[in-house]
Amino acid sequence: MNDLSVSVSAGTPAHAVLPDAAPKVTARGLNFYYGEHHALKDINLSLGTNRVTAFIGPSGCGKSTLLRIFNRMYDLYPGQKATGQLMLDQTNILDPKLDLNLLRARVGMVFQKPTPFPMTIYENIAFGIRLYERISKSEMDGRVEKALRGGALWNEVKDKLNASGLSLSGGQQQRLCIARTVAVRPEVILFDEPCSALDPISTAKVEELIQELSENYTIAIVTHNMQQAARVSDKTAFMYLGELVEFDDTNKIFTSPSDRRTQDYITGRFG
Amino acid sequence: MAVQGDVMEAAGPYDRAKALSAFKLGDITFYWITRASAISVLLILGGIIISLIIGAWPALKEYGFAFLTTQRWAPSADPPVLGALGPVYGTLITSFIAMLIAIPVGIGIAVFLTELCPQWARRPIGIAVELLAGIPSIIYGMWGFFVLGPFLANTFQPFMIRIFDGVPILGTIFAGPPSYLSLFNASLILAIMVLPFITAISVDVFKTVPAVLKEAAYGVGCTTWEVVKNVVIPYTRVGVIGGVMLALGRALGETMAVTFIIGNSFRIQGSIFAPGTTISAAIASEFAESDGLHQSGLILLGLLLFVLTFIVLACARLMLMRLETKAGK
Repeated sequence: MNDLSVSVSAGTPAHAVLPDAAPKVTARGLNFYYGEHHALKDINLSLGTNRVTAFIGPSGCGKSTLLRIFNRMYDLYPGQKATGQLMLDQTNILDPKLDLNLLRARVGMVFQKPTPFPMTIYENIAFGIRLYERISKSEMDGRVEKALRGGALWNEVKDKLNASGLSLSGGQQQRLCIARTVAVRPEVILFDEPCSALDPISTAKVEELIQELSENYTIAIVTHNMQQAARVSDKTAFMYLGELVEFDDTNKIFTSPSDRRTQDYITGRFG
Repeated sequence: MAVQGDVMEAAGPYDRAKALSAFKLGDITFYWITRASAISVLLILGGIIISLIIGAWPALKEYGFAFLTTQRWAPSADPPVLGALGPVYGTLITSFIAMLIAIPVGIGIAVFLTELCPQWARRPIGIAVELLAGIPSIIYGMWGFFVLGPFLANTFQPFMIRIFDGVPILGTIFAGPPSYLSLFNASLILAIMVLPFITAISVDVFKTVPAVLKEAAYGVGCTTWEVVKNVVIPYTRVGVIGGVMLALGRALGETMAVTFIIGNSFRIQGSIFAPGTTISAAIASEFAESDGLHQSGLILLGLLLFVLTFIVLACARLMLMRLETKAGK
């Protein structure tokens, strides 16, 4: 990725260090179980409002698992359960009586692989909006355009809104998925390794997009790419074997981590 | 393939050329066996069509196009009058009603089994549906005759007749009197018989929907119903329609069960509670005692069923192609 004009190299975060923001999502003593397997152990952290928080760590350390608790995606599967406390503002995310559809409208998610729905580009965006709002055709056109602009995709697709979402390239599909997520106006957006299936140019575009989105959204991103974490995030959490080892300013994590294991991981000694 | 692996080991690593030539021979044999199997399908199909045409020729010559438009079926008149309108109508209408019932129920079961059903109940229900496909059609026929027919005639039919009495169109469709032997009873039996096809295939294709795609749909806040309607079914549309077509093919041609309960009446009546007949039921019930022109007429009916099935399948293909263009694939 060094041959790209990505402005900063690993180790030096892209943006000025921002002051700590009010917490948007707060986990206290959060545990997670896949059946008997204790996958997350006593996680305490908070995502700052309109900040980007990156989650790094070797495969199987529980980063994606943690992300999937934030929108209760694990609920789809029997035998998985979370204990502890997880608050989205004043809402208890783990409340069994919580309306999951509303939660997922507030906490959007972008997946590892692009997941356009089997419908047109326009419908991919309009679909999500229609779940929550009844609006006129012209208003919908405006919302779709706005979302596609938000996903930095408008200029590429404005002439083929009726083409299938599946006809786009991988990078475009991923931005379509981001646009789709943005369209329902969430408060938090979760990115689960959003660039792992993309080429370097698409990756750069998505990263740029994440930076822009962080002005209005609280963002959590899981990534295997440490440069990416350094480039896009304000705070970084290093996880290892289901534990949160270190959680601090990205700057600090990549320059002077306090934990030996973090040091080893970011210098590539294991992972 | 295991045999060829042994040959290679026996020949040892040095005799590579010999081992390879053994492979080559195997390849050629394999090629010809598969090719012959494929060609034999064409030969059998062609043979059946030709023998049907030969058998149907006397009737075709005698009645021509009028065969399709005549309702009267009087093989013992002199000269015999044979018209296919009744059986063709019965075949189409029973299959149509059967699909009307079986498609929503079959897909509904598939959705329940793949998306909603608690894990422990999945297997028992799935196996029960598969067993439904294993019941011989003669048993469906007997059950329809002794149990379902009387039940419908005493409960469902009078109920519908009473409700729609005097309503235009619907009043005609659900006109009395109730009958043990009717188009509707046959349709219901057909629906039960084809249900497993639709369910089994739908379950299989629903399982191919990537979990992450469903998660994405749940992720924008869809309910299960919305996920099924907007993601699962569009994604698997081609497979589901394939299952429906298989079921329709079976419904059009099903003989034994229908022959038991349709009543064998060649007269076309507006009510679906009236007795009727289908092409295959007509052939099954008359073929043994037929000869001459009558027999040829029955064979012509068979040819007609063949053509009918072919047209239905062709329409299905066309529809699939149009759907795919519409989805922009």
